[in-house]
Amino acid sequence: MPRWRLPGRFWAWPSELRRRGVLSMNARNNLYVLPGNPREFYPRVDHKLRTKQICQEHGIPVPETYAVLDRNGDVRRLAQIVEGHHEFVIKPARGSEGRGIVVIVEHDGRQFTTSSGQQTTAADLEYHLSTILSGLYSLAGLPDQALVEQRIVPHPVFEKIAVGGTPDLRVILYRGVPVMAMARLPTRGSRGRANLHQGAVAAAVHLKTGRTFGGVCKDAAVGAHPDTGASIGGVEIPCWKPLLTAAMKLAEVLELAYVGVDFVLDASRGPVVLEANARPGLSIQVANRCGLVPRLKFLDAQPARLLTPQCRVELIELLSQLDGQGPANQ
Amino acid sequence: MLLLLALGTVCLALRVNFRQGIPLLPEDSIWRLTYRVNGRAKLAGAKLHAAYPSDTRYCRVFHKSLDPTPQGTEPIRPAKSDAREIGVLARRPGSITLSAQFDLHLRPRGGLRLPVEPTLSAENRAEYLRSRKGIEVEDPVVAETLGRLRADPAVKSELVDRVFDFCQTDIRSGGKESPADRSTVQPAAAAKPGGAGKATATDKPGTKEAPSTAAAALKQRWASPLGRARAMVALCRAAKIPARLVTGLEIRPSDDLRPHVWVEAMSDGRWEPYDPLAGFAHDLPHNFVPLRRDGGAVVRESEMADLRLTLTARRIPPPPGQFREEGPRPADVLDLTRLPLELHAPLSVILLMPLGALLTSIFRTVIGVRTFGTFTPTLLALAFVYNDWRAGLVVFFAVLVLGLTSRAALDRLKLLLVPRLSVMLTLVVLTMVFGISLLDYLHWTTSTEAVLLPMVILTMTVERYYLTTEEDGPKFAVQLLAGTLLLAFLCYLVLRWDAVGRWLLEYPELHFFTIALLILLGRYTGYRLTELWRFREFGAAGGEGR
Repeated sequence: MPRWRLPGRFWAWPSELRRRGVLSMNARNNLYVLPGNPREFYPRVDHKLRTKQICQEHGIPVPETYAVLDRNGDVRRLAQIVEGHHEFVIKPARGSEGRGIVVIVEHDGRQFTTSSGQQTTAADLEYHLSTILSGLYSLAGLPDQALVEQRIVPHPVFEKIAVGGTPDLRVILYRGVPVMAMARLPTRGSRGRANLHQGAVAAAVHLKTGRTFGGVCKDAAVGAHPDTGASIGGVEIPCWKPLLTAAMKLAEVLELAYVGVDFVLDASRGPVVLEANARPGLSIQVANRCGLVPRLKFLDAQPARLLTPQCRVELIELLSQLDGQGPANQ
Repeated sequence: MLLLLALGTVCLALRVNFRQGIPLLPEDSIWRLTYRVNGRAKLAGAKLHAAYPSDTRYCRVFHKSLDPTPQGTEPIRPAKSDAREIGVLARRPGSITLSAQFDLHLRPRGGLRLPVEPTLSAENRAEYLRSRKGIEVEDPVVAETLGRLRADPAVKSELVDRVFDFCQTDIRSGGKESPADRSTVQPAAAAKPGGAGKATATDKPGTKEAPSTAAAALKQRWASPLGRARAMVALCRAAKIPARLVTGLEIRPSDDLRPHVWVEAMSDGRWEPYDPLAGFAHDLPHNFVPLRRDGGAVVRESEMADLRLTLTARRIPPPPGQFREEGPRPADVLDLTRLPLELHAPLSVILLMPLGALLTSIFRTVIGVRTFGTFTPTLLALAFVYNDWRAGLVVFFAVLVLGLTSRAALDRLKLLLVPRLSVMLTLVVLTMVFGISLLDYLHWTTSTEAVLLPMVILTMTVERYYLTTEEDGPKFAVQLLAGTLLLAFLCYLVLRWDAVGRWLLEYPELHFFTIALLILLGRYTGYRLTELWRFREFGAAGGEGR
């Protein structure tokens, strides 16, 4: 088995990428997203409130909603809303890539402390809420709604490998079957956000065992957290099976063929769905040291009748054996 | 896609096979007018403009060809987009030769093009009534002559016709050509300084220069061609009839065609030509074509010396394919070259826009370079084409820097999105206006045109830049900006591609191929160039590689 090495050069030939089954942006859009995800279902994932409703209807756990603000007049009610909640999160309903999200870990009604330790005032937060409402963070710049919801207390399993924020778990599903997963861990560089574009580090999660392996940071293969130096591999994700079950359930009801589902692992409630994404990113392949194409092709080859909840579990097992790489070899 | 390719090919073939030009009547004639302007640039930045014929009812310029721009110069667009001018800008001092050919279609029967007269604004009207050097409206002799003409009870015709008759019959011609007359023929730089408008005392009797100013012409009843035309303009203006001088050409076979000056007077809201020398009134003879209104010299310059203009005209046989024999037909709509020449340049730039979009698509899907906004680079490039790109770039960065500074300051005010964007737009507009003013003050602009960049696009770019810096870090914002500018530069090169623009104007169906290419790009599922870097980790582990 070829062992993973540091790259000696700064590019890969297309032939190499093709051999390793790396899914390109154009192929993702043209072969999977465009035919598989009907445009009419996009609001289900682009609008967090819709996603939440769908999850609740199907018994999939989501963070508790404290309030939904949709008018500028509501902004002044913030102090009233969060009274009795020590910590909370403000997010735009149509935001993308974690933009516009503010996490408050402590407050006394006037002074607020964010997850990165910054102090802000009620006036600042109200301004932030009104910028959300005016659509600054929404995908098309349309007027938006703001969500005030429960803050997730990260599961202690991530304590050493997440800095300044809440890590999340992404599962990419195709035709309702999980094909790849990763844990996204915030760093100082990402300013507490679990977003790979902004410098977060990600570890692949083995679909069958729920153990982390591999890793990526800024498109480069890494094995340790850049801030703490702790190894990001070999971590057993708790509640992995229920998480996959919830992901499969959600993908099914969203009716999107190619979808990424983001979870956070709450210390007490276990996996909670944060959002779903109809155009999930491609860096997960680098974290997994493995391309998506063979897995997607394998699922394409399965007849629809085989994609029952029962069979999916078996398919996951088959999928994780598809590629020569994986935790079994490490 | 194959369908589009087939469609494109079929249309091209049809057009090539059944080329139909404008109808050519038996009495029509085709003339080739050749300009040759020699001169010496005194310093870099010297400019040279030559006017070419305007379309009339009897004459239409259907082809213009500028000989390859001479070394060390670059073509410049006319100050007014509808001005019929060609121009070059010298990049370094030295001699310049500008040569150009214009093909004219003359139709004695008229009806080639119904001239659209713009309504005269109050300001323009005042301009055409004003007293000028050489056109002394307020001189007593003008008022006196006009009074006599008005009072003449024997004549029943319109005042303007009486003025015309007077200038034609009662003012004697002859004498030596005055410098002022020469300067309308040859560029002003060639005339002796101080000579214009003065009947100098050094002249020997017999070969005296005829007076070339209105007042002198009316006093002495003797004038040069220019003086006679000026006298008529002065009399009309004194009678509150807007009037102006026109420099034009009489098209006839000649190796040294001299420009000629006549008068246009406003009558019933229309400019009507009067020529006290050649004797026509109310309507132009079919072979007279106006070059410049307001009596300017044919060639205008700045910082040029030793200018010499040679004009030749000869009749040529109709070029094959350009003309046919019947009247207009609906299929003419498909022929863009039939449109007036002023429209050719803007239309060909517009027709080049899809190529800019094609370039954008290639950048996005094949190379993977990200930019601010999808068509921001193309629109920026379009703005740069219509302006001087260096000044454009300076203004662009000034707007960006000041916009970002003020955006940071605005952040403190905590404004809602739309009012804040509107404040930004206002600031962008102010920055741009004062930027232009500053450039002008420092004489950095090489053209008199304002550097008008798309303001809304700039505002959004400033806003996106600021947000990207905040959200994704300054490095990414600079990357996006670099991508945007690079693409804008390439689009600029494409939009400047005159030769291709002319092709597209002639064969717009070439864009079927553009669409076909775009569809091909839209179905491309291969790797982007940037992905070869992004997924570089997969290259090394493969074992073989290079």
